[in-house]
Amino acid sequence: MEFWTTSIGISKMRPIPSALGDGYDKFVNDAVEAEALGFDGYGSGEHHFMYDEFMPIPLQAMAAVASKTSKIRLSTNAMLLPLYDPIEAAEIASTLDVLSNGRVSLGLGMGYRPYEFDGFGTKKTTRGARLREAMEVLRLATTQESFSYQGKHYQYENERLQPRSIQRPIDLWFCGGTSLQGARRAGAAGLGYWLANSPYDHTENIVKEYRQAGEEAGFAPSELRIASFKDVCIGNTMAEAEGLRQMLMDSFYDEHILGYGYLVDEDGKNIYNPPKDHPLYERFISSLYCGTVEMVIEELKRYEALGMDMIFLPSQQRETIAKEILPEFRK
Amino acid sequence: MRLGISWDTDRFDDAASGWQEILSEAEQADKLGFHSVWIGEGRESAADISAPSIFLTYLARLTNNVQLRISGRRVTHALPAHIAEEVAVLDTFSRGRAGISFAGASAQGVPSAHVHEMIDFVTMAFASDELRYRGDHIRFPAHTPDDAPKGASVPESEGPYLAQWDWGPETPDFLAITPKPYVPHTPVAVEIDDDETLDWAAKNGISPMIGAEVATDEAADRLARYRKTADAAGRARREVEAVLERRIALDGDSDAHTLGGSPSDILNAIRDLRGRTGISHFVWRRNGAVPMDLYRFASEIEMLLQA
Repeated sequence: MEFWTTSIGISKMRPIPSALGDGYDKFVNDAVEAEALGFDGYGSGEHHFMYDEFMPIPLQAMAAVASKTSKIRLSTNAMLLPLYDPIEAAEIASTLDVLSNGRVSLGLGMGYRPYEFDGFGTKKTTRGARLREAMEVLRLATTQESFSYQGKHYQYENERLQPRSIQRPIDLWFCGGTSLQGARRAGAAGLGYWLANSPYDHTENIVKEYRQAGEEAGFAPSELRIASFKDVCIGNTMAEAEGLRQMLMDSFYDEHILGYGYLVDEDGKNIYNPPKDHPLYERFISSLYCGTVEMVIEELKRYEALGMDMIFLPSQQRETIAKEILPEFRK
Repeated sequence: MRLGISWDTDRFDDAASGWQEILSEAEQADKLGFHSVWIGEGRESAADISAPSIFLTYLARLTNNVQLRISGRRVTHALPAHIAEEVAVLDTFSRGRAGISFAGASAQGVPSAHVHEMIDFVTMAFASDELRYRGDHIRFPAHTPDDAPKGASVPESEGPYLAQWDWGPETPDFLAITPKPYVPHTPVAVEIDDDETLDWAAKNGISPMIGAEVATDEAADRLARYRKTADAAGRARREVEAVLERRIALDGDSDAHTLGGSPSDILNAIRDLRGRTGISHFVWRRNGAVPMDLYRFASEIEMLLQA
């Protein structure tokens, strides 16, 4: 099981105001440190038109990281593919793939914030179909010398990607949130599935649905890859770990999880500013795992036993994770 | 006078080796005192660079001094907000060294008004917080109504602040493109390949650029006409930088696109063009590396052009 991570710096944060340029420097320096600590991958998310100046083009952030690293994989978590022309997305990915000697991994999501779609002139209602079509375009563009594609939303005739990516195809992951429907779709298409923070029991169900859909569609188990974000809060005591989680909620998560429609019910409906006793919010809170080092190791071992290919860990406590937790998985 | 370098990429067999040569020369230029490197957008040959902002952001962390200019940026291969964002992110990663030059309309088969709108939108996005844009080719956000003012507009009355996380599912009529560039006036230029663009750029204070594909006499004529139109419109020379790209043949021959001869000959040829056209930024389009040529240019031409 690989361990990937990220850092702060690609946006400002209200509780700790700082210059964005310094944040960008930190993001690159932390990637260098993560590589030295033995992490396998490092990534940037994407949002647009944000008061906190969130990174809008994650592969551009990863280009800066690429110039200062040599081994660590360069990921997006997630790149909001329906907000791009698929060829534009393929071009920036393949350009970085050449510069980094084949280290790009694209975590691709459909997005959920209405104003982002409005800013790019894309209908939010078509995002799921656009994501699936655009992923197929990316796969074709990075495997074939030239290709044609006739979809409902995108059509190309004898298109040729320049430059040619190093990876054939480029590494693609479907970031499907926490929905069972997303897992089934990814499995049926044989796409790697990268799920959002979820409690273990829900993750177990997702993995089961994903594998079943994939195997029914004829994909071999080895072709079905699965990954998960897993925020962990480590303390010497449970109270200390939960205190860290509360600090994260207060400083960042509450604003982003409650306010922008991040929480989605099983019907695909976005929930805006729910009360804090809303079941989806409570499920999110419980997905941020709190415990001592030993408890976190035990929890992550459960994920490993599920056959996870990759766990994406948070930016905080990176050194503790690298020195006290990762060695337990490298034996 | 600022001096920069750019590259022909069609002489490379593949991207991996060709790009290494470009990166190496860009790092040399950074150390030798060149002012800029220009990465052109292209899709024709194996080493062409279709995403120059990615290439330049990689280069941003390997250099400390040179300006990092995107050139030949096409309006048909990226969404308008993405272009504004990529420049701002490059500018922040490089602490104020980004710039962009757009391809001319004829080179990309679009109406010149499309290019003009893109430049108007991007520069307004840099200069404004929340804005909307209604053009014939660009509408931002998409729900901007037909009766909105033509071009860019900003809210007349802002009212009480409503935090983004309280917007709910509604999209406001005006959106801010973030981040903003590190510097207040990011260099923005356009290739002058038609009379409409020459006239529009001169009257609106947008810097002109003439690429190496245009013969020197024709380039000088276009830049002189640009200056005359700008003067007639009351635009000050200090508002823009006129950019001219030429090939250089140190100890070689001149031709319609190349300034050749001894360093002294080339120095005087550039000075002559500066006098005729008012250029303030000269770009050497490189089509082959010769040992020590960057050093010789920096030592024997670049420094002497300053005073």
